[in-house]
Amino acid sequence: MKVETIIKQDQSFLQQLSRQYTKAFLSPYYRIGLMIFGFPFQVFILMVFLYKKYVKKQNGKISSEAKEALIQSGYDRELRAKLKKQEENKQAFFNKPLSEKETNKNVEKLFSIQFQQAVNEKAHEIYKQSNREKVTFLGQSLAFITNPKYFILSIILGFPMYALLIIHSFPFMKYLFERLLMMLFVILGVTIIVFTLLYFSPSDPARNIIGETATPAQIDNFRSMYGLDDPYIVQLWRTIKGVFTFDLGNAYSGNQAVVSTIMRRFPVTLELSIFALVIALIVALPAGIYSAVKANTMFDHVFMFIALVGLSIPSFWQGLIFILGFSIELGWLPATYNADNFASLIMPAVVLGTLLMASVARMTRSSTLEVVNEDYILTARSKGLSNRRVILRHAVPNALIPIVTIIGLQFGGVLGGAAVTEQVFNINGIGNYIVERQFIPDIPSVLGGVIYVAIVLSIVNVFIDMLYAFIDPRIRTNLKKY
Amino acid sequence: MKSYKDTLAYKQIEFSTGLSLIYTGILLFAAFDFSPFTVRPLIMILASMNGVATVLQALLVLKIRKNSKKVLAINSTSRKLAGGLLLSLLIGNLFIVLSSLYLLKKKLTTGYIYAVYMVLTDLLVIGVSSLNLFKAYVTNSFIPFMFLLLFVLVFHLVVLAGYNRIEAMTGIIRKVFLLFFAATTLVGNLFVLFVMISLMQRTDSETKMTRRKGIREKIIRNQASMLGLLFIVFLVAISICSYWTFNYGFAVTNDYSNILQSPSLTYPFGTDNFGRDVFSRIVFGARISLTVGVLATVIPLLFGGALGAISGYYGRHTDNLIMRFLDVLYAIPGILLAITIVAAFGASTTNLIIALSIGYIPSYARTMRANVIQVTNLEYVEASRAIGNNHINIIWQHVIPNSLAPMIVRATLTIGSAIIATSSLSYLGLGVENYIPEWGNILRTGSEYLETEPYLAIYPGLAIIALVLSFNFLGDGLRDATDPRLS
Repeated sequence: MKVETIIKQDQSFLQQLSRQYTKAFLSPYYRIGLMIFGFPFQVFILMVFLYKKYVKKQNGKISSEAKEALIQSGYDRELRAKLKKQEENKQAFFNKPLSEKETNKNVEKLFSIQFQQAVNEKAHEIYKQSNREKVTFLGQSLAFITNPKYFILSIILGFPMYALLIIHSFPFMKYLFERLLMMLFVILGVTIIVFTLLYFSPSDPARNIIGETATPAQIDNFRSMYGLDDPYIVQLWRTIKGVFTFDLGNAYSGNQAVVSTIMRRFPVTLELSIFALVIALIVALPAGIYSAVKANTMFDHVFMFIALVGLSIPSFWQGLIFILGFSIELGWLPATYNADNFASLIMPAVVLGTLLMASVARMTRSSTLEVVNEDYILTARSKGLSNRRVILRHAVPNALIPIVTIIGLQFGGVLGGAAVTEQVFNINGIGNYIVERQFIPDIPSVLGGVIYVAIVLSIVNVFIDMLYAFIDPRIRTNLKKY
Repeated sequence: MKSYKDTLAYKQIEFSTGLSLIYTGILLFAAFDFSPFTVRPLIMILASMNGVATVLQALLVLKIRKNSKKVLAINSTSRKLAGGLLLSLLIGNLFIVLSSLYLLKKKLTTGYIYAVYMVLTDLLVIGVSSLNLFKAYVTNSFIPFMFLLLFVLVFHLVVLAGYNRIEAMTGIIRKVFLLFFAATTLVGNLFVLFVMISLMQRTDSETKMTRRKGIREKIIRNQASMLGLLFIVFLVAISICSYWTFNYGFAVTNDYSNILQSPSLTYPFGTDNFGRDVFSRIVFGARISLTVGVLATVIPLLFGGALGAISGYYGRHTDNLIMRFLDVLYAIPGILLAITIVAAFGASTTNLIIALSIGYIPSYARTMRANVIQVTNLEYVEASRAIGNNHINIIWQHVIPNSLAPMIVRATLTIGSAIIATSSLSYLGLGVENYIPEWGNILRTGSEYLETEPYLAIYPGLAIIALVLSFNFLGDGLRDATDPRLS
């Protein structure tokens, strides 16, 4: 580690750059990235490289020389004899003798691999002795980058390549970049799956929307209006493009743009989900920690039972009971949601957050319990720290990782569960929209709704992955080596 | 120092006392009518009798606790008191019956405990089925089938009372007896199977060696999960018995002279807006909830398990390919995926099962993959590979059996969430066809009469919670039983 830092300090900017370039070049995906982003420059390198290798023949016949040398020293016969002996021993051990021909085949297979290795090693040795360097593509690239004149040329020809290189050289940025790239693929995959499912629906949208009395002309008109006559691939491509450009066309009924309706409804669901998340955490974290501290007491048993009931309660039933209790019997809270009245958000948020609350409380309890038995907690106690400080400063931060994981896993359930909760409390959110549209069935609306919920969920998951690095120093350190 | 307080029987009576107290409280609550304030005399008497039984049980607990300081066994007075408390069966307090049966046995064995639960299941099934006697008429098969159930109960009681003697039987009598005993599983009482296994294992354990305990033997230490198991087995049994003892007509035929009746003995949970008996509907709904729940768990268990095993065992590119595909599936919330599939292919029970199953595949695959990766790196897999075993054999013989335990725990917990998802989707009108008495469908009807007839929505909801809670209890118990750190 120390040596590396010294080297780093002593190197000039261009040398550091070439080091980063080598690192990026060695991972296959980034190599492809470099090729694509610096295409004109890479073509230039390739031409020079090919010229040196085949026209000027700088590499010469080193590898054939090495082969000759090995054969002359009798290495090949030795190796073959050794491998044959090994193969025979193996057959004797397993008691499965093979024919002479097959034995030879196996030996030859192994021989060709190992001999090639030996040849390469020998060639490397020869290069070293003769103080020459093998002409390689990477070597040629590095030679250009370290030379200031060619470096400027490379910036002109392939500057996007350097953007990639900058991302690659900062571990955290590289991790985020890769994570975002993966998210892009997930969104693409989600679009393909959801579209394919809806495409192969046996029902005919035209007949569903216009009705059974539709004339063939009307149906044809409808189908051409929504591009339903196009082949699968064309429609799929249009959908993918639509998802990324926020233009999924008009809904089948109501004649409104799908994305604008979704954008209008999404904030309500998001507000509800975040409020549910906040309530869940405020209740679950302290209760879970307290349960762990007072493990196997009455409070612990009762609270964990309540948490288990929370896991087992269907949200729509809970919503109904809440309405029955707090709205109809007691009259404390309004039964339906109203954007202007904050109190009307409390019941839906509690209902939506119950599942999350229960699982977070259980996870908090178990992960804290696991941590409090560690040695460093004993050390902290023996230093004379107060119980409160031991738990809050030493135990809980180390118990957070599984809790964050469960929040990430359950947030999907919260966004999906919104479909049910919104129906109970009559909230005009995205979940309600999808369910409503499903009955028509209005394909573009359902498609758009589900895909955008999945996108939001993917973004949340990226955020949670970043959060890991923030709360756990071990992960931060690992990221640095990444 | 080991004392009687650590034994299973003592823990069970403490647990039963608590449950009995709760049961009495619920009865007491039901005995009052709040608006206007009146007392229902019959329920009040029942509640007070339960109260007396609970007090006696509590005294028994105190007495045993005091005695346990001196000896490891309980004395004959306590045992006689426990025998007397068996009478609480007459006031419907099964919890006290359960712990009394524990106390009456000098040496508790796994088989005996399961036999106790077996008899309790019989009692519950007979009790619930006999509520049909209050109806205007019963099905033709009701009376013969009830006699059959009573006969099975007597037979099971004989097994319970003479458990040690039956265990000691040998030769052809034993074989005939076991065969006859196994036949009684057909009424749906799955506890019979557990008792059977215990009776069969006796011959294997003649050597008196300390054998590693199986899950079946460990889980009896967890009272809550046994209670969950009892409820699940009871529902399985009642689902099967209801073919003969319940009249499907009451659950589906409209009867406009009897709409929206409040709960009574004839209609224990009242009637809905079409005059259908909600109690019968809930009993018939159990069948669907259980079937959908189990199928929506088994299908993804198989597919997800296979994908996870392949992905974890072969690693590298196979792993990458499968897991990236599942990541995509995982990004869509389960309920929205189900809505999408229903939107495309229409609402039906089959589509619902398929939709739920697909949504659960990724989480199973992840669990399986994590286990398989762990197992694959162990020495015995390496040894198996070294002696020339092929991949498929290794996966079947070593990898899968050793990574199944967490999958079983997850499956048990998933049945619960699958049941919730089923009823949620039915509630939205996207699940089971609305003419079928499914719990979500019953609730949907009930939710329309929330202000005037709230019980229409409350009872089916309680049924769902009880079933899901039972699966969660069982799942927690299984997890503790399979966790090597806890044994």
